[in-house]
Amino acid sequence: MDYKVKEDTISNWDWEITSRRSWFKLGLKDLYDYRGLIFRFVRRDLMASYQQTIIGPLWIFLQPLLTTLIYLVVFGNIAKIPTDGIPKILFYLSGSIIWSFFFDSLSGTMYTFISNSHIFSKVYFPRLVMPISSILTQASRLLIQSLLFIVIFLYYQFEYDIFVPSLSIFIVPFLIILTAAFALGSGLLISVFTAKYRDVDTLSQYLLRLFMFATPIVFPSSIVPAQYKFLFWLNPLTPIIETFRSVLFNQQQIPFDYLLLAVIEVSIILILGLILFKKYEVKVMDII
Amino acid sequence: MGNIVLKAENISKHYRLGVIGSGSLKEDLQSLWKKAFTTIQNNPSNEPLNRDKKNDLWALKDVNFEIMQGDVVGFVGKNGAGKSTILKLLSRITLPTTGSIRGRGRIASLLEVGTGFHGELTGRENIFLNGQILGMNKWEIKSQFDEIVDFSGIEKFLDTPVKRYSSGMYVRLAFAIAAHLDPDILIVDEVLAVGDAEFQKKCLGKMKQVSTENGKTVLFVSHNSQALKNLCTKAIYLKNGRVVEIGHPNNVIANYSRREQTVSLSRTYNEVESAPGNDHIRVRSVSITPGFIDDESVIDIRTPLVIDFEFWYKPSQEIDLAAHILLYTSMDECIFEVNSLANVFDGGAIKGKCTIPGDFLNYGSYYITLIFVKNTTDTLFELEECLSFDVEDYRENTAWYGDWPGAVRPKLKVDLQQENTPKR
Repeated sequence: MDYKVKEDTISNWDWEITSRRSWFKLGLKDLYDYRGLIFRFVRRDLMASYQQTIIGPLWIFLQPLLTTLIYLVVFGNIAKIPTDGIPKILFYLSGSIIWSFFFDSLSGTMYTFISNSHIFSKVYFPRLVMPISSILTQASRLLIQSLLFIVIFLYYQFEYDIFVPSLSIFIVPFLIILTAAFALGSGLLISVFTAKYRDVDTLSQYLLRLFMFATPIVFPSSIVPAQYKFLFWLNPLTPIIETFRSVLFNQQQIPFDYLLLAVIEVSIILILGLILFKKYEVKVMDII
Repeated sequence: MGNIVLKAENISKHYRLGVIGSGSLKEDLQSLWKKAFTTIQNNPSNEPLNRDKKNDLWALKDVNFEIMQGDVVGFVGKNGAGKSTILKLLSRITLPTTGSIRGRGRIASLLEVGTGFHGELTGRENIFLNGQILGMNKWEIKSQFDEIVDFSGIEKFLDTPVKRYSSGMYVRLAFAIAAHLDPDILIVDEVLAVGDAEFQKKCLGKMKQVSTENGKTVLFVSHNSQALKNLCTKAIYLKNGRVVEIGHPNNVIANYSRREQTVSLSRTYNEVESAPGNDHIRVRSVSITPGFIDDESVIDIRTPLVIDFEFWYKPSQEIDLAAHILLYTSMDECIFEVNSLANVFDGGAIKGKCTIPGDFLNYGSYYITLIFVKNTTDTLFELEECLSFDVEDYRENTAWYGDWPGAVRPKLKVDLQQENTPKR
């Protein structure tokens, strides 16, 4: 038997399907071949999400505006939480745009298997297409929302002239990529478990909501008590958002040490997520 | 030609039955632990670890086959025989537990029409979406776009969201996209079961064309044995996850029908006391004898069936006795009831006989109920569902393999006659 297997080696064939799944083969070339499909899904999600609405794509602008308004009323005017001298609207808008990018990206990817089980059970393509396309969908929304942000930002700039533009603004795209990588990595990790144990689904939704309050979205990190400071800064989103605000609103030094820590954390999570996802992407189809 | 394009070696697929949830995390951790050890000990077998045996299901077990280029292969077998599992393995949707499948060329699977269709999007958008999901690239779709639209015949509704489509339009569009896939190996599951008659015809025609004209390999599963016989060059008969037979479709399908027919063609009771019945009637035997046309010994629509029955009769008074035979479909629809003349009989053994002619029943599953009637009004005894049999389809000189409607299918002559020629 062994002899026979050796005789017709894989080189005679174009492909092989076996039970073995490598821990480290990510199939990135395969993924590249399917880039057309990734963009097709992005297009589908963007087109489909505002069908049969009156104001259509305007919701992309309205969502962060409404959230900002709520934050402004609840946290700014009622709870009177300080914003470190940053204009309240800009403070909440920046927080809510980044948070919703993270939140939507993560919720889009953590249910990869559950929400796509119908397609996955009928046709093959690299499963990573799905989470990546949902991250890209959110990224395009973010891009559109940043226009809104820029308009409001420029208004404050002309009106009050309190911001000093500098080269450090070029760190912003990097911050976005880091946020996306964090959402993708943790989403991939969780997706394997949500597919297998439905409790994870409920639990992670709950934790994700709590996580917002471990992130400086509606308050500045300066009000966090000293004993929690390190724990607070362990959250990769903390340096991301703080850096974003530092750069654009020119408040403080960029926390490079914590940013580096965030990069390390995110890399580990992303690599673990990718490995686990690839290892189980086909297996979970038997139990879903 | 003559190249092996696909080779399955010792493939098995194991499923764990039972509820996922309670205790499964614990079990998973245990098996993870065990697995870690077995790999250390370099255990080559990839069999699942010994768990509760009753929860184990081998959907496929040691399946081997080779498929040549240009083959049209039909998988036959009852539900749960493993047909769909094979297609799923070939489509890379699940992985085999053991064994390997190797192949050459691009493979596309059509386990469903319209996978990934999005209701909110227009027909145009969905052509691209579905096409790309099935593995075409944007340029391939663009270059064939007009043909796809033509084939589907939904040109007018191209910019309407597909959720507004009728189900017929939806299926036509979906199939039009699938028909323009250009893989080396095409996998099709039960597509013949959906859609209207015209669509089924189109679908079968396309499959035939793909294989004969373009030399592509097609693998498919269908319950339609007529379609299988006519389209396939090779059939694989599966039972309980194992390959029973691989070979020429006519032989394989005949064997399959013979072995899987849910038949009970005869019942005999030798002891009067234990025979079904009552004080007056005891049924000794009932049987159906098919008059097979050819040596395939499968009951098809041409086969005449002789029903014989015998019973012991002990009248308490002088009554008129008649036997009624009722034929039902498996859906409990009565096809006919026939009866003997009511007559006075002496006690003792009585024999009855009835012939259902060939070319009378449509294909399907049937059962027979026997009723003994006293004085043409009262039921003396009823032997319910005493025999059952399947009638297979048989067709000649037709390219139509869709569902043949009708409760019966008598061979009545329909004449066409030229009355006069039109004046030019």
